[in-house]
Amino acid sequence: MENTKILIIDDDIDLTSALQTVLQSNQYSVSVANTREEGMEKLKADKPDLIILDVMMVKQQDGFEVARELKKNDEFKDIPILMLTAVEDKTGIDFKSEAGDSEWLPVDSFLDKPVEPQVLLDEVKKLLN
Amino acid sequence: MAVFFASTFFHVSLQQKSLYILCSILAAYNIAAFLLLRYSRNHHRRTNVYFPGINKIINFQMSLDLIFLSLFLHFSGGAENPFIIYFIFHMIIASILLSVLESYLQATLATGLLILLALLEYQGIIPHYPLTGFIQHDAHNEAFYVFGKIGVLASTLYLVVFMTSSIAVQSRRHEEGYRLANIKLKEQDRLKNEYVSRVTHDIKGHLAAIQSCLDVVVNKMVGPLNEEQDNFISRAHRRTKKLSTFVKTLLRLTQMRLSHEMDMKDFPLKETIEAALNSVQRNAEQKSIKITSQISPDVTTITGNQFSIEELIANLLLNAIKYTPKGNTVKVHASDGDGIVRIEIIDTGIGIPADEIGNIFDEFFRASNARETVKDGTGLGLSIAKQIVERHGGKISVHSELNKGTTFLLTLPKTQKAIT
Repeated sequence: MENTKILIIDDDIDLTSALQTVLQSNQYSVSVANTREEGMEKLKADKPDLIILDVMMVKQQDGFEVARELKKNDEFKDIPILMLTAVEDKTGIDFKSEAGDSEWLPVDSFLDKPVEPQVLLDEVKKLLN
Repeated sequence: MAVFFASTFFHVSLQQKSLYILCSILAAYNIAAFLLLRYSRNHHRRTNVYFPGINKIINFQMSLDLIFLSLFLHFSGGAENPFIIYFIFHMIIASILLSVLESYLQATLATGLLILLALLEYQGIIPHYPLTGFIQHDAHNEAFYVFGKIGVLASTLYLVVFMTSSIAVQSRRHEEGYRLANIKLKEQDRLKNEYVSRVTHDIKGHLAAIQSCLDVVVNKMVGPLNEEQDNFISRAHRRTKKLSTFVKTLLRLTQMRLSHEMDMKDFPLKETIEAALNSVQRNAEQKSIKITSQISPDVTTITGNQFSIEELIANLLLNAIKYTPKGNTVKVHASDGDGIVRIEIIDTGIGIPADEIGNIFDEFFRASNARETVKDGTGLGLSIAKQIVERHGGKISVHSELNKGTTFLLTLPKTQKAIT
């Protein structure tokens, strides 16, 4: 797992520190970006195996825009994306409709914040397999 | 038809050939105008922009109608024909469809045509075809009668245009007002949704960060704690989790209350019930509770919000698991009815006291025995369930016996038509 690289893109420094610790304690190699731009830079530099992405950073759609960008890019389109949200997609705002596409969800999995450490680890393991 | 009846049954003298030719031309250009208008309507539906030539088409057709009506009159008695009042109907239609100025111009055209017809017949420039068999004596050369009648009719046409246009203008103003109000409401709805999602994000975001940081410490990922530290951190962790659940549930209820629309689509109900069952499996296993399901094969697709229905069933199942003693069974039955589906969630738990059963869907209400059995609980789960069911036009009812168990019965319409 030490060679498995995970990139967390989220503007919440406290949350990312906690998630980083949970993942590192399970021997994942973790890098953190607190802005969208930093995220894109680290993505190119680190070539992660998995991306954990926040839905809302500065703007409501930041996370989705990043995800869409990545899925269009041949270099990054196969990297699984786990999206974290504090506004449940299931029951709250329908991000998909707002983004103008009700069918296409450009991420591989959704988890609602806060995420229990074990739930996060299970999901990460599932996506990496 | 009128020509045929008048000439065949009432033996009125008519220029049948000319009138039938006029009818054919009228029918042909009306079909063309109809097709053009249909094309323009489809164009509007497709692009939400009115077809640019629509006004010209209506003006042209209206003018042509007036000319044809004058020709009809000419071949059937001129100003003596009682159908002369049909000009009034055209003025009403013109005033509804066209602008005020255009309507007055149509009235002027009608008046001009009538005067021209009467004048040409009076002067003998064109022949006059009397309605023999209908009128006893020919009056087309009685200037006072003919022009007096046309004068009265012309003033009627202008008055009709004036009155109908006034009503049409007011009606258009109201329509515009409603349209603008609707746009404003949609914008307010969008702002409100954005506000709710922002508030939800911020509140839950802070709580999520607190809980995640505590998770790390409680799970000893950053080293061991002494007994007292562990005790206090665990308490803080527990309370944060409770607060997170409470805030999450409360925000969910607020979101549902504030949101007017729910995305309704056809979805497979059987699979949705199974997904809800899977999502609570872990909770059931923790209490060694067996969940059995009996879904009738004719339970197929229904129209609704799939996520909300899954949430609804999962919430009722979690409730059942929470208040059912270890090792017991929780059952889910689903069957197809006449335009509805029935879903029952049956537990063998603590039940609800008879005098409290009427309050269980109230916000923040928890039955007295539920509070004693399970300390944690928001008292909002069943309120949310009721909201979801009612949003789908369905019903939720409960049957319970103290210490024996509770059954929640959901009836959901299969299609949204069934709601209305």
